[in-house]
Amino acid sequence: MARAYGRFPPPYKGVCVKVDVCIIGSGAGGSPIAYELSNAGFSVLVLEKGKNFTEKDFSKDELAVSRRELFTPSLQEEQHVINQKFKDGTIERYEGAEYNWNFWNGSMVGGSSNLMSGYFHRMKPDDFRLLSVYGAIEGANIVDWPLSYGELEPYYKKVEKIIGVSGVVARHKFAEPRSSPEFPFSALEVNAATKWFDKACSKLGFHSIQTPRAVLPYDALGRSGCSYSNFCGSYGCATGAKGSARAALLQKCSAKIITEAFVYRLESDVKRVKKAHYYDKDMNSHEVEAKIFVVAAQAIETSRLLLNSKNEYFKNGLANNNGQVGKNLIFSGGGSGEGRLRFENLSESEQKELMQAGLFFNRSLQDWYEYNEEGRKLKGGTIDFLFEHANAVSRASREFYNEQGNIIWGDELKNKIFKNFTTSRVLSFEVFNDWLPTDECFVSADEKLKDKYGVNVGVINLWGHPQDLKVGEHLAKEAVKVLEKMGAEEISYSISASPPPNLVAGGCRFGENPKTSVLDKNCKAHELENLYVSDASFMPTGGSVPYTWTIYANAFRVADKLLEILRKA
Amino acid sequence: MILNARRSFLKSSFLSIGILVTLRGELFGAVSPLETLSLVQNDLFPFAGELGVNAPAYLGIALNHSRIRDTDKIFLRNGVQWLNEEALETYQSIYSKLSSSQRQSILQRISQKKWGERWINAILSYTMEAIFSDRVYGVNPKDAGQKWLGHTAGFPRPTKAFV
Repeated sequence: MARAYGRFPPPYKGVCVKVDVCIIGSGAGGSPIAYELSNAGFSVLVLEKGKNFTEKDFSKDELAVSRRELFTPSLQEEQHVINQKFKDGTIERYEGAEYNWNFWNGSMVGGSSNLMSGYFHRMKPDDFRLLSVYGAIEGANIVDWPLSYGELEPYYKKVEKIIGVSGVVARHKFAEPRSSPEFPFSALEVNAATKWFDKACSKLGFHSIQTPRAVLPYDALGRSGCSYSNFCGSYGCATGAKGSARAALLQKCSAKIITEAFVYRLESDVKRVKKAHYYDKDMNSHEVEAKIFVVAAQAIETSRLLLNSKNEYFKNGLANNNGQVGKNLIFSGGGSGEGRLRFENLSESEQKELMQAGLFFNRSLQDWYEYNEEGRKLKGGTIDFLFEHANAVSRASREFYNEQGNIIWGDELKNKIFKNFTTSRVLSFEVFNDWLPTDECFVSADEKLKDKYGVNVGVINLWGHPQDLKVGEHLAKEAVKVLEKMGAEEISYSISASPPPNLVAGGCRFGENPKTSVLDKNCKAHELENLYVSDASFMPTGGSVPYTWTIYANAFRVADKLLEILRKA
Repeated sequence: MILNARRSFLKSSFLSIGILVTLRGELFGAVSPLETLSLVQNDLFPFAGELGVNAPAYLGIALNHSRIRDTDKIFLRNGVQWLNEEALETYQSIYSKLSSSQRQSILQRISQKKWGERWINAILSYTMEAIFSDRVYGVNPKDAGQKWLGHTAGFPRPTKAFV
């Protein structure tokens, strides 16, 4: 049975809390540290900007969650600025509130891990040495990690057990080495249409992979198993089956969490961070003193906090005397596509199988994780296949246009919605490939716009390297072959330099050279003795998989380093 | 303060205060945004009413929602004015006074314009939200939209509307 985790109200204004470790942000980057250190007996305080939602709060209300964005800040109160650079070199400025564009994910205890789909892939050994294996690419700041796959592997394994990863280990040419033969939890149930997918792949000579998921198939780890509600991604999990940082970690440790606590500044001297200053929901300011500070506020917000924490020793922002904070922001390159499986092409029994609701699709391809083009070895990526999201409003809304691209209404719209809902199903795919780090893609703090706290908002300076599009196109075309072989119709895909807001990393890359990186190998700031960053900010390159498993694994690794330090102290 | 005043205006009067409609610079009369939007909703997707879904009431809920941008609300209101100007230009009558076929003709005409397509899309989107809304929102008490398509709503269902 999961234990209720400790929370206490904000201290009175002016009263300073003193703890061993203060963590800013309660998502996948911060929670493993809270879990490990508090369970080892150290006093840990987590400052979380969002509210606390638990299983009982997670209904499947499309209007609240997907249409009105219940779990992200109001853009009138907190927005981003996006400076998008175009091919011709021009830069367009978009103020998020005006253009309804933002990079918020889940502002809540557990962060966006509450809302993830939990498609879990490990990075491959060559992802850790991208420069050495694949060489430099003009205009891209590719580097090798200061860490090997072998060093992180035990932590990937740890995540499988503690967070809970289910599936079947695939043996294929790009499969990564493992220290355990199988996943600790058996695969989730899948729709029978996966048989058609497997058959199509077999005919094409592709290796169909059962996608591992951070979702428990049955009751385990003090959490309930999956209820196959048909509404997984974008929604909080009402059973606790999904391996969110909240369900899997924070509810099982004694770390104290203060919610609705926005950290607006870290105070330091030349060597150490002394205090975290935060506002509560009533705009009262509070202070926390700690031996160690860990920032894990999501890649953009972490850089923003450091940039906004200027002082006499760090005039360009905390840990930023080398000007590297915010630089080399990365996303997941790629895009998405889809095809429609229609009743007309299926037998009666196949039609019934296709319409089985709730069961997952859970299939991936990694045949082109590396491929050759014009004699050069290129880094490719991963393709995940999944059914179109069950959200009814979004599915109906996509029917608003006819084949000529004209908006329709009345009986024409009614009949189109009815036919497509009741006699077909859309199979989608998502392409994940490297978003190469460049000088043009970075985080800064806006000089003009402030949020409701009076703090300069974050700016996302956005540019995608042409190589990202080239690789994405290659992968999408391979995915299309599978859909064609399955008999899908209306096949389309889109590969673009518009990044997914939920796959953000970099900005405080780790490395051995203090001149070109913000963090050392253990994710400690080069310039400060007690400042760590443990969200995806540390990643100098992103691999070609969703990030969450790697974020969790690295945070567990950092937690081990911190335990060593605290025990010595 | 200005922002708050603007929000207060939008909240209190967005659908209730009439819109003045002009034809070639001359004042023609006033129309009710609420009545016009309700009529357009029915003209675009009358099946919502047949299902027993109160789409106009939902529109009222949505347009008072803090998470819907003021610019989107103002656009819907402006669309009522532009629609009526199109009706006046074409038939010398406001939209609500036209026959059903004339109204469809006006909708076809504005759908060819950028603002018109966006406006129709927005109204249809809110209509779909009403049709597939949970019972807690009060406009789809019998899950009629879900039953129409055999769509299984996610579980657990909400116990409280997010408005």
